[in-house]
Amino acid sequence: MTDGMMAIAILLPVVAGFLILAIRNYFARGVVVVITAIVLIANSILFAAKGPLTYTPPEGFEWGTLISVLDYAILVLYLLLGFKLRNRLVLIFAATQIIPIVYFEFVMKAHMDLRPAFVVDHLAIVMTLIISIIGSLICIYAIRYMRDHEEHAHVDKSRQSRFLFWLVLFLGAMNGLVFANNLFWLYFFWEVTTLCSFMLISHDKTQIALENAARALWMNSTGGTAFILAIIYLYVTQGGASALSVQNIIGGGMHSAAMVLPVALLCFTGCTKAAQMPFQSWLLGAMVAPTPVSALLHSSTMVKAGVYLVLRLAPAYAGTLVSTAVAVVGAFTFFGASALAISQTTGKRVLAYSTIANLGLIIACAGINTPLSIAAAILLIIFHAISKGMLFLCAGAIEHQIWSREIEDMEGLAAKAPLVTLITAVGMLSMFLPPFGMVLGKWIALEAAYKVPLAAIFFVLASALTIVFWTKWLGRLLQVVPKLGWPLEKLSPSYSFPLWTLFIGIFVVGFGIGPIYHYFIASATSDVIPGISMIGSGWANVVLAGSSAVQTGAAVRGSFPVWVLYLVLGIALFLPMLFFGLKSTQLRQVYLCGEQTGGTDTDEWCAEADIKTKFILGGYYFQGTLGEKALNPWVNTVAILLLAIMIVCGVISK
Amino acid sequence: MNQFIIVIATIVLAPIAGGLLFGIDRRITARLQGRFGPPILQPFYDLFKLLGKDSIAVSNMQFVWIYAYLILMIASLLCLILQLDFLVLVFLLGFAGVALVLGAFSTKSPYSHFGANRELLQILAYEPVLLLLAIAIYAQNGTFLISEIVSHQQPLLLSLWPLFIAVLYVLTIKMRKSPFDISTSHHAHQEIVKGITIEYSGPFLALYELAEWYEIVLVLGIIVLFWANPLWIGLLIAFAAFLLELVVDNIAARMTARWMVRLSWSVGLTLGILNIAYLYIMKGVF
Repeated sequence: MTDGMMAIAILLPVVAGFLILAIRNYFARGVVVVITAIVLIANSILFAAKGPLTYTPPEGFEWGTLISVLDYAILVLYLLLGFKLRNRLVLIFAATQIIPIVYFEFVMKAHMDLRPAFVVDHLAIVMTLIISIIGSLICIYAIRYMRDHEEHAHVDKSRQSRFLFWLVLFLGAMNGLVFANNLFWLYFFWEVTTLCSFMLISHDKTQIALENAARALWMNSTGGTAFILAIIYLYVTQGGASALSVQNIIGGGMHSAAMVLPVALLCFTGCTKAAQMPFQSWLLGAMVAPTPVSALLHSSTMVKAGVYLVLRLAPAYAGTLVSTAVAVVGAFTFFGASALAISQTTGKRVLAYSTIANLGLIIACAGINTPLSIAAAILLIIFHAISKGMLFLCAGAIEHQIWSREIEDMEGLAAKAPLVTLITAVGMLSMFLPPFGMVLGKWIALEAAYKVPLAAIFFVLASALTIVFWTKWLGRLLQVVPKLGWPLEKLSPSYSFPLWTLFIGIFVVGFGIGPIYHYFIASATSDVIPGISMIGSGWANVVLAGSSAVQTGAAVRGSFPVWVLYLVLGIALFLPMLFFGLKSTQLRQVYLCGEQTGGTDTDEWCAEADIKTKFILGGYYFQGTLGEKALNPWVNTVAILLLAIMIVCGVISK
Repeated sequence: MNQFIIVIATIVLAPIAGGLLFGIDRRITARLQGRFGPPILQPFYDLFKLLGKDSIAVSNMQFVWIYAYLILMIASLLCLILQLDFLVLVFLLGFAGVALVLGAFSTKSPYSHFGANRELLQILAYEPVLLLLAIAIYAQNGTFLISEIVSHQQPLLLSLWPLFIAVLYVLTIKMRKSPFDISTSHHAHQEIVKGITIEYSGPFLALYELAEWYEIVLVLGIIVLFWANPLWIGLLIAFAAFLLELVVDNIAARMTARWMVRLSWSVGLTLGILNIAYLYIMKGVF
């Protein structure tokens, strides 16, 4: 049974990927994707039902050797890509990975057999549920999306198979990554996700796509290099293969002071993958990829691998200066990326900055390193995956309605595509307003942040900035001329099924957070960091127990009445939307100083010399003060310093 | 049952108090400007008159958002009266602000958009101060619950006076008083049309007015928290703050939005951060 489940989770996507690569027929390929999706979802639910388990592949096949060989294959491919793209940085950071590995395996003759090879604990189960369910939905969406994408671009030779191949293959790599207990295997899956990312970013083969893919590759390769160095350091100082077991690293029992430096290096690796500042530019560049890539790799799952690693290792650096440094690094990114998001004029870039910001928040929670903050981090991972995955899918659907990614072109989208606008609006509201899950997570994070006040202050500033950029964008969508009865647009089921499923998912998971916390997150939290659960798991309320860290500790630190807040949302927004309607006689034109030309549904006015002119409203972007040109030098400098401090903290903790 | 009565009483009594405060405001402002001024009950007459008018609108969503603004404002006031989590209150207040902004954005009207963009900057100016206040309250009391502030013997004002100063200009912003009446102003001579409320009329404008009444009670209620025990001192402080706003309003001119954000993010946040640092040092957390 376990054999089968592990094989389906990791190997089925690979097999299905090759099958998809071979099929040239649009419909047949779609069927394969859908079947794979269903099987993966069912399998992940089976994992959840069965609970934690450990697994080592059966004897008789050299899995370790296969992984080593594939590792070399990937790294050699990076070298070749470096030559082909004439990119020195790709070459350098491929070499800095391949040389230490060769030295490690052949000169040091390290052997890395480890039991168990895979440990599926509650956190891994939460991750595999996210990967399998949300990932599969995005793959279904991609079936139709890529056809429209190619039709619009008038490509001669269809490359949809190749695209779906990497997309589906990625799901397997991601499952392997969260299950792996052997650090060396984890590194392999890590590199596969980097490879998938490169292939998918460069998919359109335009000059800019290739450049950005190369940037993503070298930046992630710096993380890969740190990963390899951490592995070798652990192996040498802690003596042998058992030091490479993730469970051993976080479970204690090893010489702990010497562990801090490699763990700090691994946190650095996590920060590169999670596009923390100053590495944010690769994720922004990745936005040139077709939207399913952004939804799957660059918001809901792959970047979460970085977060996952930092979170997973939390006990290994708990109580050290590294922990505080990690909290500040993440919190600063949360702040910086939220500020930069305000100046962005492209929808996908706003989403990218918001993703970077929220990943920063999650990493900061890991750094705060209390049971409460870890629970917040896991909640945020879940809710962010749902909301942001959905928002990217919306961005794709919008793009295929108006063929633009610019926020200014989305002006009045509520009139052109009411359904997509509704889903997008709810997605945006769910990112920053109560009662939705992201706010619940942010609320717990703020209440947990007392340990690192600097992080708390960044949280506060970032929260305020977050309100501005979402509301500003949402306002552009809603702006319509006075008219009633906008016709609903038609959406292909390949679009509407994932969109509506995630839409419902936001409410189901948000509303049911009490039981979900009780059954999944509480145990996942205690898998990460042992300690007493600080969260009361009532059905309708989330209640945080008090802390002794502040001297006058009260019994209850805070309480978030989830169901009541959903009731308020229902009364405030959904009741009037359902029951309120104007008659056309009640409509009037907007105030234009009497210079309007016609009825209510026109946006023309009499300009100079009474020439009829359409009036245009623009949004505010504050590019002078908050633009990338103005802020990037500052935030990048601070971020580099903070990362350096993090590593230095690792060195001196020895 | 007891809570139910409190909820009903709040919903009924808060607008009466808010309306009276606005009446007093108009009277005192008139006297400061050398006019006689309307009767204290004038806001109520205005409200009933607005309610009696035809409902005319420029879009369907406009009503939804302004109604949501009212409901969310009531919800955050209830958070205060029922003594729930202070952070939840701030989040709900933020949602209310967002609903008002989106109501103004949901129609293609240039003046309405002016107001909406400026209101967003106002949110940007006051939101961090309120969140910092929440953190300072936690550093002081070890809980975010308002009930703990109310039952605490030592008033917050003694240790949180820098944040109190910052909250005073939040009050200015929230009361839409000069120099922070950026998105819409009570003074016709310095207003671009009517800012964020330009497209509302009749009963819909009445909803907005009603929400403002709840809002002033809420913001003054937050000020009361600074000296919640005994309550009457807090009420006096809040009323004094209210009168102070009226004087400031009449001696200051409206400033630019950018200036407001700069001031808030420099002076206000510095006050807040120093305040929190002081509390941490006193508690020996560092």
